[in-house]
Amino acid sequence: MNRVNIGLGGTALPALALQSVIYKNEPDAVIRSVVALSLSAANAVAAGKISTWMISLGNSSSDPVFSDEQREALARSVQSAGGTLHVTDFAENLGHGGGHNRLAQTGDSDLIAFVNPDGLVDPGTVVALVNALGADVGIVDARQIPLEHPKEYDRLTGETAWVSGALCLIRRSVFLGVGGFDSDTFFLYCDDVDLSWRVRLAGYRLVHAPAARLFHDKRLTVTADYEPSPVELYYSAEATLLLAHKYGRTDVVDSVMELYRDDRRDHIVRAVAEYRKREAAGTLPTVIAHAGTVAVFNSGFYAEHRY
Amino acid sequence: MIQASSFAKLLAEHQPPAGAASELATQLEAMNRTLQTVEPAAPFLTVLLRTQGQRLEPLRDAMLSLAAQTDRDFNVVVIGHDLEPDAVGVVRSIVDGYQALLPSPAEFVLVEGGTRSRPLNAGFARSTGEYVCVFDDDDLVFANWVEEFHAIARTHPGQLLRAQTATQQITAETWPSGEDGFRTLSWPLAEYAPYFDQLDHLSANRSPFMSVAFPRKLFTDFAFQADELLDVCEDWDLILRGSFLLGVADVPALTAIYHRWQAGASSYTRHSEATWRESERRVLAKLDSAALILAPGQIGRIRSLLADQGYRAEFERMTASKSWKATAYLRAARQRIAHIAAVGRSRVSRLTRGR
Repeated sequence: MNRVNIGLGGTALPALALQSVIYKNEPDAVIRSVVALSLSAANAVAAGKISTWMISLGNSSSDPVFSDEQREALARSVQSAGGTLHVTDFAENLGHGGGHNRLAQTGDSDLIAFVNPDGLVDPGTVVALVNALGADVGIVDARQIPLEHPKEYDRLTGETAWVSGALCLIRRSVFLGVGGFDSDTFFLYCDDVDLSWRVRLAGYRLVHAPAARLFHDKRLTVTADYEPSPVELYYSAEATLLLAHKYGRTDVVDSVMELYRDDRRDHIVRAVAEYRKREAAGTLPTVIAHAGTVAVFNSGFYAEHRY
Repeated sequence: MIQASSFAKLLAEHQPPAGAASELATQLEAMNRTLQTVEPAAPFLTVLLRTQGQRLEPLRDAMLSLAAQTDRDFNVVVIGHDLEPDAVGVVRSIVDGYQALLPSPAEFVLVEGGTRSRPLNAGFARSTGEYVCVFDDDDLVFANWVEEFHAIARTHPGQLLRAQTATQQITAETWPSGEDGFRTLSWPLAEYAPYFDQLDHLSANRSPFMSVAFPRKLFTDFAFQADELLDVCEDWDLILRGSFLLGVADVPALTAIYHRWQAGASSYTRHSEATWRESERRVLAKLDSAALILAPGQIGRIRSLLADQGYRAEFERMTASKSWKATAYLRAARQRIAHIAAVGRSRVSRLTRGR
């Protein structure tokens, strides 16, 4: 596939939309996240990296995220930092990728950043992301703290196998050029891996920018274990099968099914049932042939991991 | 062996004066009441962030992790210790960059000279929180760090608070964008016990500094100080002395990550082995020269340790005996038979497993 030929090489500075999809998040946490985004974006304007910016929140919850007073106060806060705030109530749960696709349809900025609402971006993050978005770079992702993602990246170039949707920056033209997130296939989890691989197949590099920070509020047990939520367990299990199918790795689908065969845990049983249902209905995603080395399936991971 | 008459004499010499025990109890109660008295406007926690301005990227991580705290009832004092002239402006600029994200503006203090304890004492003197905690610039805290301390302080006022901390291997590395960065090398590991074991802490520090919060008035009202004669181990010294004085309440959560550097300078590489040994000796000598109050549960621990010591002595006596040595060939033969049996079981298992 030919690379979509859009870069930041012009004299005009790019405009940026920072998108977050909210689902039953604590209002105070979302407000802190928006304040941090505003600061980071304002710093990028001051540094001459972007021209204008907006924050676009999509609410997948059935209830409003904020009270009217909170919403107005937050809009004034964003405005005083030099940006604009848009809040869209979806009136349905569109999932991660579906929500971002919907928000992206309404904007016209040159760049889009996808940000998790349970994260706090660093004041220098937008500058670091834009700096790393070279002409041949499709997407840049941030380093997450306190739990850094263990996927490998090149020490010199930052090149990596996929980028995390917890916080990443992409050109709108590239995003739309590859068809956005595949929300028909992925509701939560792995839609970022899939988007990454399609952007790579379009001829772009994926880059990790360690200087771009996101505090992603994840916790560990006292034994330093990460305990995924039931939702994370289910959608991750389902996405593993769907991703392997989509990239033509029937061997991976078979081996995962073999692994799941005697596993009676609820999330596994449901994930297998959903996959079989889609298989029977003929609604599995269209297989991307010739994904070659772009699609990495490495012992349950989608990249080489450092640990 | 002490003769009976000598023993009686010793007892008489060490007999506390009449009423001493009740006097001690009264004083401790008064101290505890003072420690629990909180000024209405005081934040719950003062965070003393200690930096030498040599790790700017970890410092940014540390500041961001403070900005992300779910419990906003804290203030921050950043203490620059022996900063190079060029670093003063850089560190100040970094701290200023996070002011809008903190509950209140962080104070920036410069301290010159002295050991690692000097910036601590400068920080304790400036602390206004109900509790105070020391956080070094290359470590990280989770979003519930303040929140979990706060919850336990409500049920255990006046005590030291101690949370679980993970350790993580890390190495210095230049980032693709040119900064003096780092790379994590391991998943966080819970290598310390999730509860505070006072006796175990006598052998080494098992509590990274940011895992412990101290009642602030211990420093401001009772002249408790970091020992400025210690080059290192100042955290261990404060935790040990504080624990004997006030006891420790366990926080049932993992709230921080202590970074172990595989490359690049740290307090471990900046100080010689002799310096570490001398500091350890001083910490323990100070404890050994004082009357100490043990935390509840420690008598059982001491008895258990003494029992272990008795078993060990018995085992050493047995393995040194002639009969043990004379029967060595029998034990070797038994081990050989057990090994052959295990190999046989393993082969059978492989052959009968199916595919």
